[in-house]
Amino acid sequence: MVLRKWPLLFCAVAAALFAPLYLGPFWLSLLMQILIFGLLALSVELLLGHIGLFSVCQAAFFAVSAYTVAILQVKYGQPTIVAVPAGLGAAIILSLIYGIAVRTSGVYFILVTIALGHVFWGISWTWVSFTNGEGGITNVPAPAVGSLTITSHSSYYYIVLAVVALCVVGYRTLTRSPFGLTLRGIRESESRMRGLGYNIAAHKYTAFVLAGTLSGIAGLLYIYFNRFVSPANAEFFLSIEVALMVLVGGTGTILGPFIGSAIMLGLRNYVSAYIDQWMIVMGLIFIITMLWTPDGVLGVIRRLGVWGRTSHNQPGHRTPTPEEGK
Amino acid sequence: MERRKKRAHMVGIISILFLAFVVTYGASPALTAEPIRIGFMAPMKGPLAKPGEDLLNGFKLFWKQNGLEVGGRTVKILYADSACNPDTAMTQARRLIHAEKVDLIIGGLCGHVGPALAQVSRETGVPVLVMPGADELTKWDIVPTFVRLSVSASQIGHPMGDYLYNVLGARNVTFIGQDYAWGHGLTLGAAKTFKEAGGKVAKILWTPIGTADYGPLLASIPTDTDWVVANVVGADRLRLFNAWFNFGYDRKYKIAGGYWLHSDALFQLDDKAVDLIAQCNIYSAGLDTPENKAFVKAFIKEYKTVPSWMAEAAYTMGLFVKETIEALNGKLDDKMAFVDTILKVKVNAPRGPVSLDKYHNPIQNVYISKVEKVNDPVLGEIMINVPIKTYKNVSQFWTWNPKDFLAGGPYKR
Amino acid sequence: MNWILQALNGFSLGALLFLLASGFTLTFGLLRVVSMAHGMYYLLGGYIGLSVVWFTGNFWLALLAGGSSIAILNYFVNRYLIRRTGENHLAQVLLTVGVVLILADIALTIWGGDSLSLPPPAFARGPIELPGNIFYPKYRFLLIVFGAIIGAVLWIFYRKTQIGAIVRAGVEDREMVNAMGINIDRLFTLVFALAAFLAGMSGVAGGAFLSLYPGAEWEILVLALVVVIVGGLGSLEGAMVGSVIVGLVDAYARWLLPEFSHFAVFAPMAVLLLFRPQGLFGKEA
Repeated sequence: MVLRKWPLLFCAVAAALFAPLYLGPFWLSLLMQILIFGLLALSVELLLGHIGLFSVCQAAFFAVSAYTVAILQVKYGQPTIVAVPAGLGAAIILSLIYGIAVRTSGVYFILVTIALGHVFWGISWTWVSFTNGEGGITNVPAPAVGSLTITSHSSYYYIVLAVVALCVVGYRTLTRSPFGLTLRGIRESESRMRGLGYNIAAHKYTAFVLAGTLSGIAGLLYIYFNRFVSPANAEFFLSIEVALMVLVGGTGTILGPFIGSAIMLGLRNYVSAYIDQWMIVMGLIFIITMLWTPDGVLGVIRRLGVWGRTSHNQPGHRTPTPEEGK
Repeated sequence: MERRKKRAHMVGIISILFLAFVVTYGASPALTAEPIRIGFMAPMKGPLAKPGEDLLNGFKLFWKQNGLEVGGRTVKILYADSACNPDTAMTQARRLIHAEKVDLIIGGLCGHVGPALAQVSRETGVPVLVMPGADELTKWDIVPTFVRLSVSASQIGHPMGDYLYNVLGARNVTFIGQDYAWGHGLTLGAAKTFKEAGGKVAKILWTPIGTADYGPLLASIPTDTDWVVANVVGADRLRLFNAWFNFGYDRKYKIAGGYWLHSDALFQLDDKAVDLIAQCNIYSAGLDTPENKAFVKAFIKEYKTVPSWMAEAAYTMGLFVKETIEALNGKLDDKMAFVDTILKVKVNAPRGPVSLDKYHNPIQNVYISKVEKVNDPVLGEIMINVPIKTYKNVSQFWTWNPKDFLAGGPYKR
Repeated sequence: MNWILQALNGFSLGALLFLLASGFTLTFGLLRVVSMAHGMYYLLGGYIGLSVVWFTGNFWLALLAGGSSIAILNYFVNRYLIRRTGENHLAQVLLTVGVVLILADIALTIWGGDSLSLPPPAFARGPIELPGNIFYPKYRFLLIVFGAIIGAVLWIFYRKTQIGAIVRAGVEDREMVNAMGINIDRLFTLVFALAAFLAGMSGVAGGAFLSLYPGAEWEILVLALVVVIVGGLGSLEGAMVGSVIVGLVDAYARWLLPEFSHFAVFAPMAVLLLFRPQGLFGKEA
């Protein structure tokens, strides 16, 4: 298996590195979106795959960092070097506050995060004097450090790629650390872990804040990609769509959220161009994913035996795959 | 020696590039036979699906009447759904430009889609023509390839303030305005001209779009108000109408619509709406000109409904595009030439004569309309907006000097 | 005087929210099903009721038709889709969001994108004049009374009848009820049908109050969620108290702080969560 994986990884890295050379501008911008939203989906996966919490407010952390950067750069004329740490800080602060949600669990957690996500959306929508409301904030300048300004999409692509790669490596390290193992222990049996002397609440809270931070990083990448942010980036539906990306791709892997992101964004942007009833198509994808492919595309691949072991677990109640168990 | 070698390489590369350029450029006249590709983007889902459909219908009617051929080239229209989501709009616009190779994009309706499309236009240099929108994009934040062809918010706000004071005789007015960029332009624009005429603004009640219940809000109208002005959009229009009469406010104050009872809302109203001042807008379906009568007749025949101002706006966009491409003899390679030409075009639209100012916004008539009941040969008894006062050739700067106006900054609450 | 007027406004919105949230909370309490489709049921029920009013002119028939058609629809959605997710709430949420997308698109095709107002019964149109020169819409009085009646009937059913006792026992311990030889499946079907009926009916009632348009499904669902979170999942009393609280907070906020009305109802919810994450009447989550 290891032997099979390395050439594949090498090909993927090569393909990613040379993407701007062979992809046209449209496909390159789609690829960037896939990476950015895949990172956002990865933050859902951190909570869902490792601790069994399904958060429906990741869009809020995504949007808060994007908004912070946009407001600082456009309204207060601050440079990138100030705006980016501030944006990340805003995402961390918001996730520290929204962390109260981990006091609840199961379905309550789902409902509470929906409501909390809606609060942030409400702020971005109604606090017009600060966020410009529905109109959003435009004209965010290109990221610049000193005299170096990154204007073209193809050079920004490398920044996105590098940041996403760093986050993925960090994520991998984190989930394989004792902390990550504890999280999965909590998912499997909260009472047992409590009995073993682990502080459950602190672990959940930390994971929640980490996931919020990850979403915030995705938001930072997004704002300099799109140069525009609006309440649509904080919507309930974005959070839901991102969660679906995780499930379409397959939980329990790092690749899953990115595959899900590619499928969902490709469909949303392509199907809607050719089919009037694209919402029905999206709805069918939701239903089919939940009923017939609960472990996502990667699960299907695995089931077909391409990648070894089969598994038939429900999302969110999955046992760790052998790689993770190590 | 090394240097010379390098230079030789450079010369080689440059000449190859030049050759490639000449070949493609030289080949392009042959491509003129290719169809002109126009991207058309409107919201087809969500709260603004109906105005989106109106836009689409108006645009389709134009090409149906005029044939899909202009300046010796056929026209191919590629439709996309903005879903009222700026993210989707930007991705769709990029798809239209990069993958479908459109020559220009027409679109935008939802407030935030305008700026999103302007962003793409700035990024790609492809002209984007939009329908209504907040003020900024044709005042302080002009994008060279971005043109607005219907109306900016305060353009129809300003005449309303004048009408309130000088015709209705209002002295102390409460405005109901919606709290977003377009609503700010409408309401603060009207408040500004009203105050300059000598009136007093009793209060401005700001509400978010999608205010479910207007009952609680109306209780805040100051009791010494003589006129209430409604500037509301979408589903809020109907809710305000119902709440106004159900709470008996019609017995306390007089109400006038600055931006309220458009023709797409009229079919659901009862007789209480008759004779109300409905809107101060660039179009009114009851306008008595030959151009408009022909348009309304054709539209009703095709779609069995009275055209809304959105439908007219899209129809007129078709008119602008056609005139411009004809003036360019079908050559669309130079994007800036397209914009320069469209700024010079004057059309006789159903809504009256329209031309553009150098800030990329139209100069046109603004009509104050009231609701009337009429008999239509096809639709039977219907309610329709009929103009009762016309402000001719209104600029987005009203009667002020553009420089002074721009110095004052945007309307912000 | 305005304080009284706003209280009435709060109660009328509360009555509407109760109709919707009671079904949501019961469905969850008994079946452990979280259905995001509830908001769509509201909208679809309203649209169906609207068509009935257009054809027959009868508001009461519309209430019945809106409610029962949704109950039937929900039977199939539940039987063929939701039931297959077991107790996986995540799957239920996403699955029902998918159902909403499909139904919303179908509704858009049939009823179009207009914002449609459902005409109330003739006797309930226009305002009533109260002492002190206050006018109040008759229909909203009707809605308050209607909500109170439905609330009372549900409460009696839930607390005083034998079926109600079984339902409550089912909420507490499902296996036990099953072990006692009661056909819990039939009971589930009944409660589910009732919940969907209430949702469809609330759409008809709400259509005459808030009007119907694409997108209304999410707006109303979010409010219903707040009611359920504040009141406590699975508790009928919680839904009653929660909807009155949300209705009142919303009305006073719209009057006193109109700009912030969109999320004024969320502030008390967040505070409550700090101290009682399971809501006012909920059991330990």
